[in-house]
Amino acid sequence: MTSFQRWAFCLTVPAALLTLCLYVLPILQVLALSFTEPTFGVGNYVALFQNAAIGRVVRTTVFVSAVTTVLTIVMSYAVAFALVHMRPATRRVALFMVMVPFWISVLVRAFAWVTILRRNGVLNSALVGSGAVSEPLELVYNQFGVIVGMVHYMMPFAIMLLYANLSEIDLRIIQAARSLGARPVTIFFRVWVPLSMPGLAIAGLFIVIFSLGFLVTPAILGAGRVLMVAEYISVQISSTLRWGVATALSTMLLLVVAILVALAMRSSALRAAFEGGRK
Amino acid sequence: MTAMAGLGIAVAFKPGRASAAASEIVVCNWGGAALEAFQKAYGAPFKAKSGIEVVIDGTGPATGAIRAMVDSKNVTWDATDGGMTDAVVLGKGGYVEPIDYSIVDKSLVGEGLAAEFGICNYTYSNVLAYDAKKVGATAPSSWNDFFDLEKFPGKRTMCKWIQGQLEAVLLADGVKPEEIYPLDVDRAFKKLEPLLPNLIFWDSGAQSQQLFRDGEVVMGNIWHTRANLLRKENPDYTWTWNQNLMFASAWSVPKGNPAGKKVFDFINSSMDPEGQVTLLRLMGNGPSNPKALALMTDEDKAVYSLAPENAKTGLAVSAQYYADNEAELQNKFLDFISR
Repeated sequence: MTSFQRWAFCLTVPAALLTLCLYVLPILQVLALSFTEPTFGVGNYVALFQNAAIGRVVRTTVFVSAVTTVLTIVMSYAVAFALVHMRPATRRVALFMVMVPFWISVLVRAFAWVTILRRNGVLNSALVGSGAVSEPLELVYNQFGVIVGMVHYMMPFAIMLLYANLSEIDLRIIQAARSLGARPVTIFFRVWVPLSMPGLAIAGLFIVIFSLGFLVTPAILGAGRVLMVAEYISVQISSTLRWGVATALSTMLLLVVAILVALAMRSSALRAAFEGGRK
Repeated sequence: MTAMAGLGIAVAFKPGRASAAASEIVVCNWGGAALEAFQKAYGAPFKAKSGIEVVIDGTGPATGAIRAMVDSKNVTWDATDGGMTDAVVLGKGGYVEPIDYSIVDKSLVGEGLAAEFGICNYTYSNVLAYDAKKVGATAPSSWNDFFDLEKFPGKRTMCKWIQGQLEAVLLADGVKPEEIYPLDVDRAFKKLEPLLPNLIFWDSGAQSQQLFRDGEVVMGNIWHTRANLLRKENPDYTWTWNQNLMFASAWSVPKGNPAGKKVFDFINSSMDPEGQVTLLRLMGNGPSNPKALALMTDEDKAVYSLAPENAKTGLAVSAQYYADNEAELQNKFLDFISR
């Protein structure tokens, strides 16, 4: 190590200490609670698997997260693809519009969606007013509303990740494909899509991990009818005082995310995505 | 170990800015309009008497937050505004001090409102509130009507927190008030199931008001205090006292509270009928001191759950029953409504 490297290393120490004290330590405490509360042992983990209600919560979470991920990826890809093909001036405007939701808190966005989707909301009023439907549609306080809110929350992240990936693709490859007589559809599926696999993989992973832990959006747009893991944990911590089950479930969630990341890192696409930063 | 373990979760709760010096009492309530109202009703009179400042922290004294504070030995609240059930649960867990009845005069509150770990600071009810413009010529007058989709079409709202929910369902199903406890949960779920598609569940008082304002629901099982605020905005929103479900809120004192025994002077002072009537006028939270009734106008009595006229068909929600069963029931209920 050169002395410069040693100095650089020393500069990371305060951040590392903070992370250790405020992040790693509490996580270890949560882990410890899951084995000691209310009595010592693995009872909380056994309970997780025997409790049908928790099973349903987990299934809801997995289903909503999966649908959110697929929809977010498909729509974000379309936006990112369009961004790559825009003239720079148009792209600046478009990127700005993608970024706007970042400045609005997740709470405000959830309430905004309630305003749009509720029975007397903006959308239903327009639909009923124009005669498109005779009865207001049930768009919120159900899984549909939750998924709308979550996809909206996740899309800017996915668009940015995908855009970063797509804009690095060498356009000469596309020209080469075209000059060899490939039709647009073929070019898209056999050139663009394979080359954007690293972006798709990292965006997908990011959204799955984020979705599994969503709290505010499902709580507001689901209004009790869509119960996901994070809200279940929050109820057990703050109101039923079942900290044992709550911490066991948190630990499982952390474990699942860790396994997902580990599995994903085995795929060449994702390794390429992470290594892309090191060149 | 427990002290350490509490630390991590205490961080997650952000225990609020208020840290108490010896010369102040920190009261934790649920924020919003209650910040100012508590100051006027309880804080100012106590300061006038004792010279001790009362600081109101609106963080919300969830039982989990109190437990985290006590476990981590970092208690910043002297008195917390929770339900009588919370007081029993926290007392059983050893997280709150017993109320010191050598300082607090038990006889100031009505019967059954002074318990070992909590003394009632105010009362309120869950009531059947409705939008008079939407329900037609005859207003709903009982929980039966809550279930009558033919006579009263439209969405309803209930609370996703269990206390006071199944009682209404069972009353509508014909269970006699004196036989409500222990709750027949299966019977209640069976009665409630067909209504589920027409229900929206609120989780905060503000949300229950918003559902009415937005015209999302025609009626609901909500706190009378919120129904009262709605009626002040717009007289179309009103409620029936018939079959109201009466709750006692309670002061509890977290173990190791910063002001020590002084908090009991504050609690005793908060039982003064004048301050309690002030709170009733500001928010609709009803006095726990029966003497307050003598200070009330007819208008005050119209929003007081324990006024004889309103209380006669009321059902007192059992704090002891929920102290023993709430965790289990709450989880069952969340599972049931999210299926």
